[in-house]
Amino acid sequence: MAANPTTESGLDLSWLDLYEDATSAEPGKKGLTLKEINLGRYADSARGAGDMTYRMRGAIPRPGAQRFGPNYQSKADVWAENCLMLYEEATQRQWSSARDIPWDTLEPLPDELERAMCQLATMLTEVEFIAGDVPGQWMPFVSAQDFEAGLFLMTQIMDEARHTDVFRKRALANGGGLLAQGAGLGLRTLIEARDFTEMSVLMHVQAEGFVQSMFRMGELIGQTEADKRIFRMSAQDESRHLAFGVMHLKYVLDTEPERREEIHHYLDKAEGDAAGGGSGDVTFPPVFEALCILLGGGVDKFDEGLQKFLLLRKRQINEYVHRLTVAGLGDRRQRLGPLMAQFLDPA
Amino acid sequence: MSTGEALARAAQATQVEIPQEARDKARELGWEDGLIELALSKGHSLQVIWQALRAGVDGERAKEFLQGGQAAIPRDLSWMNVPTEWGIRARPKDPAMGLTIADLMIGTYGDVPDVWTNRSEIARGSYPNPIVEDMGYTIFEKALVWADCCVPLYEEAIRDRWVSATDLNWNSLEPLPHDLERAVCQFMTEQSERAYFTGALWSGWLPEISYGFLELKLFLSTIIYDLARHSEAFRKRALANGGGLGLQAPTDFSRVAKEARSFPELAAILFVQDSMLYTLFSQGDRFAQNELERDLYRFVARDRKRMLDYHIERMKHMLFKLPDRRDEQNLYFNKAESRMGKDWVDPAVSEPLAILLGGGVANIDEGRRQLRELRQLQVDNYLADLRKATFERKHINGRLEQAARA
Repeated sequence: MAANPTTESGLDLSWLDLYEDATSAEPGKKGLTLKEINLGRYADSARGAGDMTYRMRGAIPRPGAQRFGPNYQSKADVWAENCLMLYEEATQRQWSSARDIPWDTLEPLPDELERAMCQLATMLTEVEFIAGDVPGQWMPFVSAQDFEAGLFLMTQIMDEARHTDVFRKRALANGGGLLAQGAGLGLRTLIEARDFTEMSVLMHVQAEGFVQSMFRMGELIGQTEADKRIFRMSAQDESRHLAFGVMHLKYVLDTEPERREEIHHYLDKAEGDAAGGGSGDVTFPPVFEALCILLGGGVDKFDEGLQKFLLLRKRQINEYVHRLTVAGLGDRRQRLGPLMAQFLDPA
Repeated sequence: MSTGEALARAAQATQVEIPQEARDKARELGWEDGLIELALSKGHSLQVIWQALRAGVDGERAKEFLQGGQAAIPRDLSWMNVPTEWGIRARPKDPAMGLTIADLMIGTYGDVPDVWTNRSEIARGSYPNPIVEDMGYTIFEKALVWADCCVPLYEEAIRDRWVSATDLNWNSLEPLPHDLERAVCQFMTEQSERAYFTGALWSGWLPEISYGFLELKLFLSTIIYDLARHSEAFRKRALANGGGLGLQAPTDFSRVAKEARSFPELAAILFVQDSMLYTLFSQGDRFAQNELERDLYRFVARDRKRMLDYHIERMKHMLFKLPDRRDEQNLYFNKAESRMGKDWVDPAVSEPLAILLGGGVANIDEGRRQLRELRQLQVDNYLADLRKATFERKHINGRLEQAARA
């Protein structure tokens, strides 16, 4: 740090010439994104040691800066290589549940279908509520040395708020209401996590993965154009959360391969405790029945709906294992709990 | 061959591992040993058996079914008739805003209770399950957190969203004199860190707030998202015009916010910051060096205004509901003002602003005069904001008073 050259005018100016390199990031095709400013000594690749303050990566350390309590000191603890891109994508793709859903296309549905849709919305508004709290819980531990991961989590908090509100809106917009609270949805496992990677693999990869597989069947589940749009828009957001989780897991396994067994342990617990359902558990009886009714097209077509429900489970499980394989945890296939393994396609 | 052996063979043939959870549940429901294996041998999938167990099918009924009778999974459907308010058809009151969360505040769904008693993540207005785990929330009292304005502000925040990458004209930047560019960069470094820190701080409080105050949590989520954008936008500006990041921000004010032991304390401390920053950014035209910075400060000020509106109304509401806590607030304001005063006199905070206000180091006397004016305006507006919240702060902390005059 430069000496303190108090000037004639009484200025200190010790902050003025602390660095000599000049940085001029140029906007790219998508404007000036985090990618364009990830350069030189400011890049994530130039990350130095953290210091338990909120000093942004590349800023000059302040002598005498107070600590703020523990946060993650190792990049691998929170990092995903795609978080810069995912952050910018999130800012570009924010949507409004108030105005981007064609609420005026809602039409009265047969009572059993409306009730089934409202039950599903009740469960989803509950699940999405927790999905905002969970990243919130971890934000204070994400060092500003890895601020892009933190920024991404803040977009996720916003996304989950929107999902919480859009499913509540759906339940209250078409002559229905909220129905039965979920129970045993496996949501406690998310908030119980005591490590960022544990949280991420359980929430981003497993729970949001299951929810994403369901949203992608929204064309079959949704009864109106508004319902289908809700699932499509929400799926778009979930894809980002899922992509962060997969790439975080990959980063951990690539850089700290000794954590493999530890991560299996978290999954053993989550898959076992939820008896194969995991968070976003669609086997909770009211949700299971609601889905069978929606997928079948009515109570009288419940068995037809059940067959589609089993297809949904098959899709959820196979996509889950595929994502783990992409992240480098392909050996999970051999350890999958029986309630999941029954749906697994041959490798 | 005994029946047991036959069943064991049948189970083997299916090559399905039966989870312990399923066996435990079956025992709890009075299923005879071997019944799950029998169901599997008859071609029923483990998933269907699991659904029957989760639906509470008892041993007798399961046996009857396997002997060829009833449906495996009873159509319970009791959730269809739980006693929640039914027949709700929310409609947009303002078509330009669309279907807002304010439009959902109808019937019992609009009741925000003074005290929320459910410890689970139940959606307010849904039918409670009697046996659920405690999710660990700690804030159940409306008076501590609530402000009616959070309902419209949530939707306004979404409507007013902006994107730093594309809503700011980065191509308009032109080289500035060295002292001005460095002053801009130092200011950006400080503000980027403050925004990131405050976003992380608010985030950490989200899991403390129970579902009774859902709309507040939704609004806080927009604050967190705004702060993420501020942090990256300030960083981008620092790195876009021949400068760089300077000295990290002073830590005194941020530490006092981090030290808050309760939500009201946190909110009181951030009231001070958010009021001061709103005034600062709303005066951004005075120290902006170009069009991009003017736009950036305008966007930030608009976001900060929502935060400030929340603080004012929350404080007013709390003081109305909990008048015995009025004097206590002075303790938090005093701490916050003191630390802010300390930050304000830090050369890396005051000098960049004075240089920008004056138009360069050469005009530092004019810059200092303008900074004193700006600081006084921040203090005056802060006291006015407190008055809007029905709080009369008779004496601000001496350190802040001195810092404003420095």
